[in-house]
Amino acid sequence: MPVVPLISIILVAPLAAFAFFGLLSLTGRNYARQDLVSTAAMLVAFVCAVLLFTNVVADPDKYSHDGAEIHSLTWLPLGSVNFSMGFLFDSVTSVMLLVVTIVSSLVHIFSIGYMHGDPRYPRFFAFLSLFSFSMLFLVVSDNLLGIYIGWELVGVCSYLLIGFWFEQDAPANACKKAFMTTRVGDVGMFIGMMMLFTKFRTLSLYGTDGIFALASNLTTADMTWLSIAGVLIFCGAVGKSAQIPLHTWLPDAMEGPTPVSALIHAATMVAAGVYLTARMFPILTADSSLFIAYVGAITALVAATIAIVRFDIKRVLAYSTISQLGYMMLAIGAGSYVAGLFHLTTHAFFKALLFLGSGSVIHAFHAAHHAHDHDHEHDHAHGDDHAHGDNHAASFDSFGIDPAQDMRHMGGLRHKMPITFVTMLIATLSIAGVPYIFSGFWSKDAVLVEVLYRAISWNSVHHYILFSMAALAAVITAFYMFRLIFMTFTGEPRNQEMHDGAHESPWKMAIPLIILAVLSFPIVNKWSFEKYVKQPAQPHVHAPKHATYDASQDVLHAQLGLSDAHAAEDAHSEDAHHDAAAGHHNPDHDKAHNIVVPLSFVIVIVGIGLSALFYYWRKISADAVAARLRPIYTLLWNKYYFDELYDGVLVALTVAGSKVLGLFDLRFIDGIVNGVGVVVQAGCARVSGWFDNTFVDGLVNLVARITWSIGGRVRRVQTGMIQNYLLAVVGGVVLLILIFRALF
Amino acid sequence: MSLQSYLVISIILFSLGIFCVLTRRNAISILMGIELILNSCNLNFAAFSRYVTPPDDISGQIIALFGIVLAAAEAAVFLAIILAIYREFSTISPDETDTLKG
Amino acid sequence: MELNPQELVFYLFALLTIASAVVVVTIKNIVYAAFSLMVTLFSVAGLYVFLQADFLAATQVIVYVGGILVLILFGVMMTSGSLDLKLKLERGQLFWGGVVSLTIFGLLLSVITNTPQWENVDIGASQEPTTRKIGEMIMKEEYLLPFEIASILLLVALIGAALISRKEVRDE
Repeated sequence: MPVVPLISIILVAPLAAFAFFGLLSLTGRNYARQDLVSTAAMLVAFVCAVLLFTNVVADPDKYSHDGAEIHSLTWLPLGSVNFSMGFLFDSVTSVMLLVVTIVSSLVHIFSIGYMHGDPRYPRFFAFLSLFSFSMLFLVVSDNLLGIYIGWELVGVCSYLLIGFWFEQDAPANACKKAFMTTRVGDVGMFIGMMMLFTKFRTLSLYGTDGIFALASNLTTADMTWLSIAGVLIFCGAVGKSAQIPLHTWLPDAMEGPTPVSALIHAATMVAAGVYLTARMFPILTADSSLFIAYVGAITALVAATIAIVRFDIKRVLAYSTISQLGYMMLAIGAGSYVAGLFHLTTHAFFKALLFLGSGSVIHAFHAAHHAHDHDHEHDHAHGDDHAHGDNHAASFDSFGIDPAQDMRHMGGLRHKMPITFVTMLIATLSIAGVPYIFSGFWSKDAVLVEVLYRAISWNSVHHYILFSMAALAAVITAFYMFRLIFMTFTGEPRNQEMHDGAHESPWKMAIPLIILAVLSFPIVNKWSFEKYVKQPAQPHVHAPKHATYDASQDVLHAQLGLSDAHAAEDAHSEDAHHDAAAGHHNPDHDKAHNIVVPLSFVIVIVGIGLSALFYYWRKISADAVAARLRPIYTLLWNKYYFDELYDGVLVALTVAGSKVLGLFDLRFIDGIVNGVGVVVQAGCARVSGWFDNTFVDGLVNLVARITWSIGGRVRRVQTGMIQNYLLAVVGGVVLLILIFRALF
Repeated sequence: MSLQSYLVISIILFSLGIFCVLTRRNAISILMGIELILNSCNLNFAAFSRYVTPPDDISGQIIALFGIVLAAAEAAVFLAIILAIYREFSTISPDETDTLKG
Repeated sequence: MELNPQELVFYLFALLTIASAVVVVTIKNIVYAAFSLMVTLFSVAGLYVFLQADFLAATQVIVYVGGILVLILFGVMMTSGSLDLKLKLERGQLFWGGVVSLTIFGLLLSVITNTPQWENVDIGASQEPTTRKIGEMIMKEEYLLPFEIASILLLVALIGAALISRKEVRDE
């Protein structure tokens, strides 16, 4: 299949859908079925993505390496520097295209049901199209500039969609928070890009004069510099993927419509950070890798613990997303590109499913709620859950949670909503990592194995710590996810009124759930994924000197050239990582695997068992435990006081600084301006006014007076007596003749 | 009785006509001045025809004849205009018909 | 120098012409001026005779004296109870008019005296009457078209004069 035309179609289709809306908006109208336009565009993009994927299947050897196919054009020649724009196509791009188009298409379909009746229904789909375009553009860009453009575009779309119901304060504030928080990271990313640019005079990633090729030639003297650049670029990913400490915007972003949460804040945009970090994999050094791994592990653990105590169903999923993104970062930081991207792929599907499932529940509750309150409005009750937080907050909620999203009002929904229950259960089993039959197990297992393998092979204390944090986070993940399921779908209904009104969602919403549930099974297992995605080399990551595993042997292989099959296989794993697809011949890898798989069983059993004790069998009262562990509970309830910290320190500092600057403005700048004003008024204006009155007006008056007097005199020439005129004529003729006689 | 004597008479008539046109305060007097001018011209034509052109060429006389015709036409129109002015202003003095005075 | 009778008559006519013209220009009574003009016109007709322009002289008498002068006298009578209109002459106009007229006279005189070709030129004149010749030239030869145009001009002038002087024009 030709790459460039198909990628062009993938990009143009959603952009055209958005342009259709935008151009029509100029005339002040909207097409009511924008949903069909946008959905059709996404389905076209999906078909093209599938066609492109056949390329990878047909030729895995070629496309499994990163940067396999580049189609680039010089875009902006500036002096000696050329900025290029182009398409990058390799297996990672292809997988990302598939993930984005599948999830986006399903979210479009889901939204047709979910957003039905919203006053800005066409605009919602137009924004979804714009987002899809931006995300796809980001994925196919072959250079940092293009990635950055797509990066900021998805940020804008995220802003627009979080704040879709901007009439209320909460979404309006959330979208601002999301935009500004990610911007903090983007500044770091931009500085990182500029560091690379000043060094390499290019922003292209691949090719002989691309950043990766040039970076691989750097000597150890440049390692500190390269580490800083890598960490700065990772800052962008920290913001976009909501890693600690910039994670606070993502839970607030749940104020947006639930399909948006599923698409942007679970499957695609937040994964863009992981994608970027993976793309920058070859320039990561040992130090920046370790930094990334720690950020990822801490995020995974902290977000998971916060999720335990949340009652808002979407907030639980938001923290779960942050936690899972932490896993991906951890994998990449631990040197396993493949595991990170694999977890990204599986997570995209099951987390989108969880969000859409929660959207289904919320939708059902809203419908119920409305039916109870406004029987006559039943037909219009769908999709406007934004109207609820305000109307009913006082009666149902003491923590600012929308009652339709509050799990304490739920319970026993499995009989009411069987499809939603089953699909969400599948996704939960997947994210909890139930062994072998769910995709989440494979990807999470891959992450844990890679971290432990790195710990064993390098004999690195850091990686043992990271592994423990990840394993603990896995237990907690299983716990809080089943807490969500138990509280929502099992037991007795806690709010009979809302429970009675709830019903299964329409087929438009159910079908995407079913499709995503199918995708949560291990359709792509780890080995096949590894067959198609080859790990790029990390020339600047070397095992520490005291490592038990002799990493130098692999380096030697690479340096001697690809003399034999074994060396060829290891050419892309000179960081002492053995390609799993080549067989588990590496003893350290085998050892890690043998530890992790049994551990996974333990993790799942402990996590689910504890959850069941608390929330299914109710042998232990959660409230009692919370009371016993009051300080910890308070800490978790307040999300480790991150928001308060930011409010107290950053916001307060900013406000205080603004006040100081405001005073400075008021006293000093205004003083200067006023002083200048007084001086100008007293001096210049008076003088210039006098000058105006005397000279300028005098001149004008003089001209007028001269004209008047000349006119008054000349007027008399016009005697009206014909003989005077005649005299003048004859006299003139005579005079002329005399003159001519005198002259000639 | 040479050409010059005729020419001198002619220019005397012409100058008197001009003086008359420029100075008289009566429209009919002005007309008379114009007639004097025309007569001087005709006299000129006739004189040149007699003294300068060949004897059988009397074009000068014919031009003078046309001059008389023009004078007649001019006089008729002029007097008609004088009558119209008189009816309008009750005077034919150019002094007093000065509506165009600035 | 000895004056032959022919010359004597010529100078008489010349003197009469100039004198009567001066009267026309200077006299205040417009009726006298008109009659003085008649004398001038007759004298000019006489001069035409000296120039062998017999037809022209006759036409002068018929058209000018019999037509135009009568017309002028009619104009004088119809436009005034002020036949004895006192002509008031503005001094400046009189002065400048005199200056201009004299200058023109001087200029023309200098032209005449400074043109040697015109001194004592006499190419001779045929003694036969010009009437037949004029008639042929007007009716048959190169002056036919100007003649016809002149006739149209006269017709137009006639109609125009009648139209302008009609009282009804004002009333429309």
